[in-house]
Amino acid sequence: MHLLIISSLLLGALGLLGAVVLYATARKFHVEEDSRIDEVEALLPGANCGACGCRGCRDFAVTCVSRGNLEGGLNCPGAAEGAMAKIAAILGVEASETERKIAVLRCNGSCEARPERYVYDGARSCAVMNGVGVGSRGCSFGCLGCGDCVAVCRFGAISMNSVTGLPEVDPDKCTGCAVCAAECPRHLLDMRPRGRRDRRVWVACSSRDKGAVARKVCASACIGCGKCAKACPFGAVTVADNLAYIDPALCRACGKCVPGCPTGAIHTTFKIIQKEAVAE
Amino acid sequence: MKKTFKKGGIHPAANKIADAGIRVLPLPSRVVLPLAQHIGAPARPVVAKGDTVSRGQLVAEGGSFVSAGIHTPVSGTVASIGELVMASGVPGQAIVINTTHESLELDEKERGEYWTRMETQQADRTLSDRFTAEELRSRISAAGIVGLGGATFPAHVKLSLRPDVKAEVLVINGCECEPYLMCDDALMRAYPGQIAEGIELMLKAAGIPRAVIGIEDNKPEAIAALRAALEDTPFNITVEVLRTKYPQGGEKQLVEAITGRRIPSGALPVSVGAVVQNVATAFAVYQAVAFDMPLIERVITLTGDIPESERANYRVAVGTPMSELPLTVPDDAKVILGGPMMGRPALCLEAPVVKGTSGLTVLADSRRRPVQPCVRCGACVDACPMGLEPYLLARYGELRMWAEAAASDVADCLECGACSYSCPSSRPLLDFIRLGRLRARDFAK
Repeated sequence: MHLLIISSLLLGALGLLGAVVLYATARKFHVEEDSRIDEVEALLPGANCGACGCRGCRDFAVTCVSRGNLEGGLNCPGAAEGAMAKIAAILGVEASETERKIAVLRCNGSCEARPERYVYDGARSCAVMNGVGVGSRGCSFGCLGCGDCVAVCRFGAISMNSVTGLPEVDPDKCTGCAVCAAECPRHLLDMRPRGRRDRRVWVACSSRDKGAVARKVCASACIGCGKCAKACPFGAVTVADNLAYIDPALCRACGKCVPGCPTGAIHTTFKIIQKEAVAE
Repeated sequence: MKKTFKKGGIHPAANKIADAGIRVLPLPSRVVLPLAQHIGAPARPVVAKGDTVSRGQLVAEGGSFVSAGIHTPVSGTVASIGELVMASGVPGQAIVINTTHESLELDEKERGEYWTRMETQQADRTLSDRFTAEELRSRISAAGIVGLGGATFPAHVKLSLRPDVKAEVLVINGCECEPYLMCDDALMRAYPGQIAEGIELMLKAAGIPRAVIGIEDNKPEAIAALRAALEDTPFNITVEVLRTKYPQGGEKQLVEAITGRRIPSGALPVSVGAVVQNVATAFAVYQAVAFDMPLIERVITLTGDIPESERANYRVAVGTPMSELPLTVPDDAKVILGGPMMGRPALCLEAPVVKGTSGLTVLADSRRRPVQPCVRCGACVDACPMGLEPYLLARYGELRMWAEAAASDVADCLECGACSYSCPSSRPLLDFIRLGRLRARDFAK
């Protein structure tokens, strides 16, 4: 009994001493941290994707608060709708308009249009397959289908479509962080503005091969015929190296280029209602 | 004890099953000459569509110093200059030449006469005295000769040493350590005299005092033939018999096996006073100097799971479409450009035989075994001839850790495949190491 009391007192005294030392140290070395950092961080997606150029979300929040403004392109492409405006409000600055982007696949070589020609049985990685040759589908520009983009997406926005063999981007989940675009060894994921009312038009092909060569390996390849460029009333389409490209800054998503494409290489996020030409 | 390199190495089944003679294939009616058949700048066409060309004529000149010209093996007319699908499946620039029945007959006659003349030519030990080193190098360059061991580095570049660089030994690679392939072996047996003279010419061209021919001990006929041919040479040329081990034909391994000197990481053989050339290159050099014959033909091996009557070494014109080779490929078989260890898959058989094609290996059952987890047995570390840690480098590649891969000397890998071959879990080690090697270039130390 006696022993029990002594040891309890001793331990209690030690604990008290430790508490006093810790309290004193904490007071002496206290760092005043801006509470706004935590507020800003709470608005960020927390994926640490690095698309903003900072070393993660916390670093972005610290940078925002220490600068006190969002100048110099400080922007989180992955933030939810309106989150950047809230961050601007916390910092007490005017919210600048930033266009939200989404990843679109510039390849249309589905299993049907571009059947498998060779058996690849190396490591399941697009980057590895890209180093061996043209890939199992025979196109030296198109999607390799091993899903490197699926693996790197931190938001679970990309999935492999087992019917087409191509990755699909879920517009609700994609934040436009562009990590997939950097990962794709063939640079097939293009970051495009979401567009008004989610209307987007793009050429779903990256083949710079001559029309005949491209057509041989893929039924839905862009052959660089230039019909879309002629059809575009806004001059948004340019054809270079046997490949058409629609400039999102000029495109008004009218869809006039779509019906004329002989291979169906132009994709849209909306339905095209074809009007019969009045022959009079 | 016969010499070999110290670290690592494996002993894959040799499978040198082809007939060791050299058969001659007729000239093709249409040749395809890719402009990039070598390391360095692609060649520039000097002919236009519709031009008439004659056998041996230069059709594309070297694009820069590190480049090689391309000559046509047939007379005919230039049908097109443009993009064609190459063996890897990727399109590349190529010149296509069409022939006529009559021109082909004339070419075939000329070709037959040339080979008889060359084969019956007496050994001429004063040949190298008739030229200055400068002249020899320009002749080698004019003939469009590249390293025929597979790396296709322009031969004249390696023989043009900077004045401040001192090379002591010319190492001639006659190892042919790659399983299945036999074309160098066949060449050494058939033309030992010509190869010996080619080596003498290269010694003179580069101003190197001595040469050593490294041949593995599984080629006794080639060793005997070359020793006999070298009996009365005024030059210091010896044959070194090496203990058979893969990858002995790797530049760094061969120099170490013969001279005992290790080439430092990232350095060229010349840093330890050695220049390496292949036996087939020596043969091409001889033809270029003695007969002014450009590199328009080479010997290739067709081997693997094809009918026994087809397994042989063939002398073919560079530019012959592979579809015209006597090759019966079974269904579902894999065709490999080169041997099974370091070869690359041939995806398009319409593509031509190029200067760097050492053979075609057909494997009927080449599917990889299912990948299992790494058991940390260290077999890949034991096998690596560069003393690297393949399991670690492969993991870095898988996890996209390029900076770490670069720091672990991934650039030293020669892609010999000894690691993947030795792995009991059949992990795709080389796949990821190759990827890491490619990306790690951005993180050069």
